[in-house]
Amino acid sequence: MLAKVVSFGLKGIDGFKIDIEADVSNGLPHFEIVGMADTAIKESKERVRSAIRNSALEYPVKRIIVNLAPADMKKEGALYDLGIAIAILSCNEENGIKNEKDFAFLGELSFDGSVKKIKGLLPILISARNLGYKKFIVPYENIVEASFIDGIEVYGVHSLIETVEFLKGEKELAPVKSCKFENLSSSTTYPLDFSHVKGQKMAKRALEIAAAGGHNLLMIGPPGSGKSMLAKCFPTILPNLTFEEALEVTKIHSIAGELDLKQGIVCNRPFRSPHHTASTVSLTGGGTNSKPGEISLAHNGVLFLDEFPEYSRHTIETLRQPLEDGVITVARSNATITYPANFTLIASMNPCPCGNYGSKDKECKCSPSQINKYLSKLSGPIMDRIDIHIEVENVTYDQLKSEGEEECSVSIKARVDEAREIQLKRFAKDKNYSNAQMTSVQTKKYCKLDQIGEQLLKNAFEKLKLSARAHDRILRVARTIADLEREENILAKHIAEAISYRTLDRKYF
Amino acid sequence: MNEKRMFIFYLSQFDLPASKVEMIIDKMEGNYTFSNFCRLKFDFISSQLRSKMLELADERFVKAYIENLETLGINLICKLDREFPKKLLGIEDCPFFLFYKGDLSLLNMPSIAIVGTRMPTSYGRMVTEKFAGVLAKNNVAIISGLAYGVDTIAHRQSLEVGGKTVAVLGCGINNIYPSYHRDLANTIAQKGLLLSEYCPSTKATRYSFPARNRIIAGLSDGVLITEAGIKSGTLYTRDFALDFGKDVFAVPGNINNEKSMLPNEIICTGQGMGVTSPEQILQALKIDVKENKSVNTIQLSFEEDLICKALQSSPQKIEDLTIKTGLPINNLNSYLTILEIRGIITRMLGGEYCLK
Repeated sequence: MLAKVVSFGLKGIDGFKIDIEADVSNGLPHFEIVGMADTAIKESKERVRSAIRNSALEYPVKRIIVNLAPADMKKEGALYDLGIAIAILSCNEENGIKNEKDFAFLGELSFDGSVKKIKGLLPILISARNLGYKKFIVPYENIVEASFIDGIEVYGVHSLIETVEFLKGEKELAPVKSCKFENLSSSTTYPLDFSHVKGQKMAKRALEIAAAGGHNLLMIGPPGSGKSMLAKCFPTILPNLTFEEALEVTKIHSIAGELDLKQGIVCNRPFRSPHHTASTVSLTGGGTNSKPGEISLAHNGVLFLDEFPEYSRHTIETLRQPLEDGVITVARSNATITYPANFTLIASMNPCPCGNYGSKDKECKCSPSQINKYLSKLSGPIMDRIDIHIEVENVTYDQLKSEGEEECSVSIKARVDEAREIQLKRFAKDKNYSNAQMTSVQTKKYCKLDQIGEQLLKNAFEKLKLSARAHDRILRVARTIADLEREENILAKHIAEAISYRTLDRKYF
Repeated sequence: MNEKRMFIFYLSQFDLPASKVEMIIDKMEGNYTFSNFCRLKFDFISSQLRSKMLELADERFVKAYIENLETLGINLICKLDREFPKKLLGIEDCPFFLFYKGDLSLLNMPSIAIVGTRMPTSYGRMVTEKFAGVLAKNNVAIISGLAYGVDTIAHRQSLEVGGKTVAVLGCGINNIYPSYHRDLANTIAQKGLLLSEYCPSTKATRYSFPARNRIIAGLSDGVLITEAGIKSGTLYTRDFALDFGKDVFAVPGNINNEKSMLPNEIICTGQGMGVTSPEQILQALKIDVKENKSVNTIQLSFEEDLICKALQSSPQKIEDLTIKTGLPINNLNSYLTILEIRGIITRMLGGEYCLK
């Protein structure tokens, strides 16, 4: 007897259809799975057999061959267990399973017959919907994740036997109710708030601009000046994710198995801070079982690299392409996969190996060549992609103890949200969300200067010895500053402020 | 090219001390052919060097060497030439050869050597910039050693204001140390003068730096020490300057600051003159001071005036400025940039602002 059911696999962040064909024939008892299956799938034989038996269903003592088609695609993971079990059971008409052809099955089986959660459900469902599939049977644990997608009917099941009863028509299951995204996103609380950071007005302002325009930012300062704390406060002022952005983020987190299944969708901009010992592959993604890396997990959010020059040079340089294109393409022997990686880079570093260079109170013990070596770890092309660099200074005791109220994150965020809305309107027809993503053509179009501004920029280049690559960066940052002040045009004062965030373009030595 | 000139070029390859070069030339007794040189015995030359010299004692090699110098744009001048700087001839252990790139006539200008520590504090930076800038504007050539720190700031600042600067190297001109300064060296070669007593490919050694300090002291009309520690290499420059009877100027500094120890000591012991403004040096050199536009004639807006007043007493960090002026950070940032572009204030290392 032959039976066929539909399931889906993952390639990169997209799902593809898989036909699970089961052929049960007379012969010596045997169970074989063919069709480029990895170890997890080969082992599903044992899970499927035990699950069927322990669900008080009849396991055919026959020759069973399961084919996963298309046969030339590599398949990974345990998410086909449920499909395989249903296909085998459907071969026996006595089981009474009908309309199994209407559904797509996704789920891992346990020996006792229960259906366990899977990774990457959201991207699979999105792709499947786009391919025209409407009805799905998925693990009950995953249903929140599925509830955000319109136009499909998803049924959550606890166990194999429940699935069989449902397919026989003996049990009614209600499809998952769709959920509204808006209700979730506003209810987040953070442990840190900008009102906890005393002083540091300059840094806060720069972070506000970075949040509003999605600009990459580098903080330079002595140890203990609060760089990491400032960075950790940064997510509190980031603009809300739009639903489209949230889906993109959730897709990636779902594949990486980092999704909070109770919430089902990522509704805050991710904040990733890998340690500087991180390997290049852990950042970029890839590996034998291709997984998105840290930079993709930071998609539409923040990648915070503390002690930037301490990362291996190779690792830093791999950030070049994603910082430019917003995607990372990982080529491995068995597949070439493109993951989105559109993140805001927040990096922090000391001015020299000992950390006290330029400090007034403490003496720097580094030789000039040591300092040069340290700073030269950040190559020109990388610096080229960082819009804002600021110096973060040590806070004095008086500032630390001052009673004055510091502005809280909520009111900063209000300004950021407003500025981001202006940008979304501006780029409604284009493919980007923020000023930082402007191409040079767009920069020309949207960052027009009046004569005073033009003159100021020209003087700045001559007097402050800015490097040529600073030009477009300054314009983009000035655009964001103007947006924060709800100005239609970029004024001279916006340009002047933007220039003040180009510390590293000036020669120190 | 006559035989003598050829022979002098030949000798310049070996970084010989001036005294030995002179002894060789004396011994040749007017016959400057290589055959004569190979025949003669020189007991003051080690056998190792002797064999190396004999190897290269051929007209073809010397011609190739001269061609190489030409392609590198490096000129050679020796003590016997008329253009050799007169100021150096008087000093003890005057170098026999000088390799140079740039405008040699700069050495006839009034000149001040600005030397000091490789790691100045922000005060040292500010002072060095100020002195180098004003002196260079008043047509004083700034001489220094192309090292990190004070040297570099002095060179950069004099180029900045369109003045002349001379870099005396402790290494060959084609082997710049520190290599980080190759760009600066090129600029100086174009707009000023790059000078070395060493053959272009010679590497820097720990002995070559004190040695080049005697040339710095010798070439200048006075030596200014802005910031240096008590055990600094600047000590050599001071000692040479005192030996050669040049004026020594020192900028007083904080008595607790290690980097102000040497200038303070010079002032206390009366070895040199304490200076608090570049004009004092100009007066000592008897140079008329060019009129400078004073800050008062510049129109300032209310906010800009507020910032300048806050900066009057001492340099300020931006954080303190927000408190003192009461301006919001975004406006303050743009005013500071505008003031900086107009040349009224400068930003120092570590993010402090001060009035120029």
